[in-house]
Amino acid sequence: MGRFKEGLRVQVKVVQALTSRELMTRFGRQNIGFLWIMVEPLLFAGLVGLVWSFIKAPIDSGISLFAFVVTGYIPLTFLRQSFGRSASIFVANSALLFHRQIKILDFILVRILIEAVGAMMAYLFAGIILAFLGYFPFPTDIGALVLGWAIYVFCVFSICTIIAPLSEISEVIEKLVPVSIYISIPFSGVFNLASWLPPNMREILMWSPLVSGMELMRYGLFGPLVTPYYDLTKALSVPVVFLLVGLILCRRVRRTMTVT
Amino acid sequence: MIHCKNLHMEYRSGRVSKPVLKGVDFTINPRDRIGLLGRNGAGKSTLIRLIGGVEMPTTGKVVRKMSCSWPLGFTGGFQGSLTGYDNARFIARIYDKSYAEMRDFLEDFTELGTNLQLPVKIYSSGMRARLAFGLSLAIEFDCYLIDEVIMVGDKNFQDKCKSEFFEKRTDRALLLASHSVDTVREYCTRAIVLHEGRAQVHEDVAEAIRVYEQL
Repeated sequence: MGRFKEGLRVQVKVVQALTSRELMTRFGRQNIGFLWIMVEPLLFAGLVGLVWSFIKAPIDSGISLFAFVVTGYIPLTFLRQSFGRSASIFVANSALLFHRQIKILDFILVRILIEAVGAMMAYLFAGIILAFLGYFPFPTDIGALVLGWAIYVFCVFSICTIIAPLSEISEVIEKLVPVSIYISIPFSGVFNLASWLPPNMREILMWSPLVSGMELMRYGLFGPLVTPYYDLTKALSVPVVFLLVGLILCRRVRRTMTVT
Repeated sequence: MIHCKNLHMEYRSGRVSKPVLKGVDFTINPRDRIGLLGRNGAGKSTLIRLIGGVEMPTTGKVVRKMSCSWPLGFTGGFQGSLTGYDNARFIARIYDKSYAEMRDFLEDFTELGTNLQLPVKIYSSGMRARLAFGLSLAIEFDCYLIDEVIMVGDKNFQDKCKSEFFEKRTDRALLLASHSVDTVREYCTRAIVLHEGRAQVHEDVAEAIRVYEQL
């Protein structure tokens, strides 16, 4: 137990150090610095939301289209960034593996952590601005919103632990990442609510924790305006299975890795 | 003590595989000064990486019962895009040392001055060696793994290393991979000759050098 505690303490130190290093190398100390992490999701969600609200008629449900697109797009940018940055993450950081206490899993954890915090800040920022303009409600159920986001992040993390070692094993996988992100959009509940779908489709989509997470988030925000569909058992067990596979793959890859 | 137990290491690339170490056994005791000799490609760096835990052996085991530095060499351990100071801060954090103390020691030991504010990628190999030694000496390991790198330094740097290792830190262990027979003769109390994937341990350094020179 003592050794476990010590190990945990070291890992917390390592994650802290890696996080500030990553922020520094990616954003530097100039101008707004690490606030850049929320710029991309904000721009994306904002502009796409704007375009959509012009070309499409407002939905009857009482939800502002702008708010709907923003709540879908910010988690999606998080997912895309996380997947994209997980490919060949080990090679990119391999100089740091000279220090024994740094584990390859730390790299993934830190990336996801930064992306998740950036997305959360963007969500909050966009929410406040839009609420000010009258497009965004105050969350009805903050618990559901946070739970949904937690499920979403956990699921993305578990998939990244698989993408990272696979991209190391085969270059084909690395090339396939952008396409697979595109394909995953319908399974992530970004542009639609599960309640708009026929029941048999909905049944299938419940296997995606991303859909459950998104539904919970939207319910937490818009309240009774949406009928959420989610399956907590699947939303938690599917990422656990992914994570297990991912951890095994990471371990195997680390054993045969050449560090330069 | 650090025990190497039956270390095998094989590098693989596609269908080609190259065995580098074929069963290496030895022990590093506290205060040991071990020279590691061998021709190019004999596996000196590989062995040091395995002991440092940077790479994993194909089979066999490294048991570390004392703290052990990362392999000090030309590459590795630094983030090139960060400055010397930023690298120091990072290393102070992950090894749980006070950054202020480390910075003071580093400025004094490396004599790099304002170069420490520049990114490490533009450092010369001598400057890198100074930085790597400065950082690892500030952390105070029980055992230092040194891959070739003392020899790139100038006279001033070599004198400093000598004073740090042989006057101030006589209780530490050292594993020194080198092609310089003179360095090994001067610094080491034992020596290992790596040849064809196996390691011969010699308690007599002069004998080890004789064997090495005949390879």
